[in-house]
Amino acid sequence: MMRYFINGILRENPVLVLMLGLCPVLAVSGSLRDALGMGVAAICVLFGSNLVISLIRKGVPPQLRIPIFIIVISTFVTIIDYTMQAYQPELYQMLGVFVPLIVVNCIILARAEAFASKHSVFASILDALGIGIGFILAIGAMGFFRELLGNGSVGGKIILGQSFHQNPVLFMVLPPGAFLVIAFLMAAMRKWRSQ
Amino acid sequence: MEESMNLFLIFLSAFLVNNIILIRFIGLCPYFGVSRRLSTALGMGMAVVFVMVVSSWISWMVYHWALVPNGLVYLRTASFIVVIASLVQFLEMFLRRNFSHLYTALGIYLPLITTNCAILGVAFLNIDYGHSFIETTLFSIGTAFGFTLVISLIAALRERLDLAPIPESFKGNPIAFITASLMALAFLGFVGLFGLSI
Amino acid sequence: MKRNTFKLAFILFVAASVSATTLSLIYTVTKPKIDEYRTHTLQSNLKEVLEGATEFEEIITDTLWRGAASSGELLGIAFKVFPKGYGGPIETLVGLKVDTTIAGIIVASPAEGMKETPGLGIKVREDWFRDQFRGRKQQELLLKKDGGALDAVTAATISSRAVVNGVKEGVERYRRHLVEGE
Repeated sequence: MMRYFINGILRENPVLVLMLGLCPVLAVSGSLRDALGMGVAAICVLFGSNLVISLIRKGVPPQLRIPIFIIVISTFVTIIDYTMQAYQPELYQMLGVFVPLIVVNCIILARAEAFASKHSVFASILDALGIGIGFILAIGAMGFFRELLGNGSVGGKIILGQSFHQNPVLFMVLPPGAFLVIAFLMAAMRKWRSQ
Repeated sequence: MEESMNLFLIFLSAFLVNNIILIRFIGLCPYFGVSRRLSTALGMGMAVVFVMVVSSWISWMVYHWALVPNGLVYLRTASFIVVIASLVQFLEMFLRRNFSHLYTALGIYLPLITTNCAILGVAFLNIDYGHSFIETTLFSIGTAFGFTLVISLIAALRERLDLAPIPESFKGNPIAFITASLMALAFLGFVGLFGLSI
Repeated sequence: MKRNTFKLAFILFVAASVSATTLSLIYTVTKPKIDEYRTHTLQSNLKEVLEGATEFEEIITDTLWRGAASSGELLGIAFKVFPKGYGGPIETLVGLKVDTTIAGIIVASPAEGMKETPGLGIKVREDWFRDQFRGRKQQELLLKKDGGALDAVTAATISSRAVVNGVKEGVERYRRHLVEGE
């Protein structure tokens, strides 16, 4: 059972191995804070979506899988969106923008289809947590490196000196930088796994 | 003259300077999933051109003729997704019957066009930019062509990379991303073309 | 065959209904709290863009206010503009003093619908960019690259230009309200 949990972190890391949900990872990993915000929002949605879909999996006719999954996911996302706005407005200021983006995050739908619809509730929850943590680790690593080289800071705190901050490697926070960092992370993951 | 220059700039901005994949960073999933063979990539590109242009036409009409006059603007996300999903479903049936090899090659990525951030994104951008119907057409065509251009370029490059000597851990996806990084860097060079900026 | 289609349609209908009902419920329950928070934020934003003002009179719903000090003295106006940025409209609140200089601006956050690029266009929200507007008159609202005195955010020209033009047009449109009785 624990296998399901560990799986999502390394062997089937959603970003570096399965290559799902790249749009948000690349776009939102310009700074550590943004990256972690996205990660946290994603794991919440993934958890709920896997849970619900696993619960109703027996009652969903095969031809209706995708529409039903999408209904579940978008409903869940909207619930999180509104309840966060109402009861955690400060948190919403930080994460709010990422929540609706998760509807088009391939990871959620792919996990619903590939796992939650075929496994027990407990296994699906473990899968969601594992995949979610794997996601946070990957996107967090990207946010860390891109902010460090593209802005000279970590989490907003300038640590490479003011002169670097004034003239950082700007393309790191632009699309080319995202591609570059993820390439190296993927290669590192590949190397690590082959040993 | 002014009018056609404006339309040309809208097209150019969407096609190159603010390329949807390499600059705006939207619609990346298929970029890496469908781009190992040039023929598949071109097929995907054409599918996206169809869905993007037609869906932005229909979304525009739905928005301006049905939602706005009736105060139903908040339904735009839902209705745009329905339009896109229906178009993709229709496309899927059409491809399965007439171009079955392409249908199989695209695999899971065909239905995933529905959740492709680019298609929905373009529908929203056209509304937010206040584009007229003609401007919408040019913006969507430009964006879709930009999409097709980029995934075709990387597919062609990847076909060659498969034959090149590359360190073991970089083979496949990592080197593809490094290639993409260089491509994105190159596209940044378009900034300033005809005064267009990002 | 017909029976099967009917069954599928029914299940889909049930799913959609459950979703719609749940969402209506959530919306109804959360709306009052959300509105309350919005009003509170608006009030504190108005006070921030028009320093010294404590009383605000709404002239155009959710768009234009007249701000007065506690003594009743008219200090200026505040208005919202929505210039088209890179990813969508950029909601900007502007404070304009009676001497027609800008008192300050606040750009809405991503959580409030601002869709500029994370890490780039979003920097128009930063203090250094906003402070450039303080004390400026309408004619001075121009980016350095367009011949003026304001710095744009690096690699986010469209976003920066949008805010500058939006503020400028807003001043043009609403300045007549600085005179009471308009």
